[in-house]
Amino acid sequence: MANEKSITKALINAFITVLFIVVISEFIGIKKFAVGPGTVTLLPMLYAVIFGMLVTPGILGKVVAPLKKLVDNDVIEFAGSMVMIALLPLGVKYGTLVGPNIMKIIQAGPALLLQELGNIATIFVALPVALLLGMKREAIGATVSICREPTLGVIGEKYGINSPEGTGVLGTYMMGTVFGTIFFGLLGSLSLGTGLHPYALAMASGMGSGSMMTAASSSLAAAVPSGMSETVLAYAATSNMLTGVTGLYVVIFISIPLVNKLYNVLEPKIGKKGGNS
Amino acid sequence: MTKTLEQFKLLILVGILILIGQQIGFGLNAVQSIPGMIVVLLVAQLSLIIKGALPNVKFPAFAWATMISLLLSMPFMPTANWFLSTTGQVNFLGTTTPILAFAGISVGNKLGALKKMSWKIVIIAICVFIGTFFGSAIIAQIVLKLQGII
Repeated sequence: MANEKSITKALINAFITVLFIVVISEFIGIKKFAVGPGTVTLLPMLYAVIFGMLVTPGILGKVVAPLKKLVDNDVIEFAGSMVMIALLPLGVKYGTLVGPNIMKIIQAGPALLLQELGNIATIFVALPVALLLGMKREAIGATVSICREPTLGVIGEKYGINSPEGTGVLGTYMMGTVFGTIFFGLLGSLSLGTGLHPYALAMASGMGSGSMMTAASSSLAAAVPSGMSETVLAYAATSNMLTGVTGLYVVIFISIPLVNKLYNVLEPKIGKKGGNS
Repeated sequence: MTKTLEQFKLLILVGILILIGQQIGFGLNAVQSIPGMIVVLLVAQLSLIIKGALPNVKFPAFAWATMISLLLSMPFMPTANWFLSTTGQVNFLGTTTPILAFAGISVGNKLGALKKMSWKIVIIAICVFIGTFFGSAIIAQIVLKLQGII
């Protein structure tokens, strides 16, 4: 009974907190800034994730006593389980963007499918950096993919989550969980400055994380000419669904063998002697 | 059944947050948007039921929600017009703000663990993010070009 009571209390406190955050974030509204060759588009969701982090006991809760009472560990736990539920209305909205454009999507099928393989580029970019920084086997886990839940599972099963590889995968996973939406919320619109087509960037936004895809594609969609934004969101959502299906197999059959092979080649050449993470 | 009711209660709370948020952010009247929100929440609930009924299929409820709504809104479906105009009362960006508020709070107890990690992981994670994103974008760019779509 006491347990049930504490869950209800967590629910009410979380609801009140999120209501405040939503009201303030929406009130600030969409802001656009020109930065170098591109535009940064700040969406309310970006303020919301930052406010959300700020109100937790580790940050503002430490200094503001009533806040610590409102947002306690029960609320944090509860908020974690609410993310999955809160994503669903967005999933429905994505469907309404994909459905009417289904012919366009099928037409772009080859691009959508092949760009899934682009995710392995992370190995070529990040593994050398990790080795230069002196990482050893941790680098395998940290750079094998963008490390969402399926990768966490596969690496955990293959090497054990307490192994060096497991430490690496957890590191990238945590970074993505905490900063992923902020990072991609900024990169989404800024990436237009590279000259890559918005549709290509849209497909790249689907990386197997609903919230990162949303952050990247929404800020991209807000920055492109309005006639393009619906297609941008539709491509992003489809790409993300595809990653949900193919991502795991790419990691198991391509990424893990590839990262190991490249590690064996590069580590003796650029790895620091005696260094560890 | 209890589980379904419990989930729907939570979905309604999310719905209320979205309705209030989109009234402020996009000037959409909260009361007039209720029918659209109900339809959105029903599809969301259906996706949870499907997910629960197929535990062996590794497809997240989020993807099921997109899949169902995609099917209902395809051009040749008789439901398309009704479904699109009704769910149109719910703003796309409006649905994103509560998610990220919950997500922000939920990482609150992970900041300590993150601080314990090496600073190197910050640099490496950024390389991973950039590599994944632009790797896909470059391939997509090439294939879309070859297909003549862009």
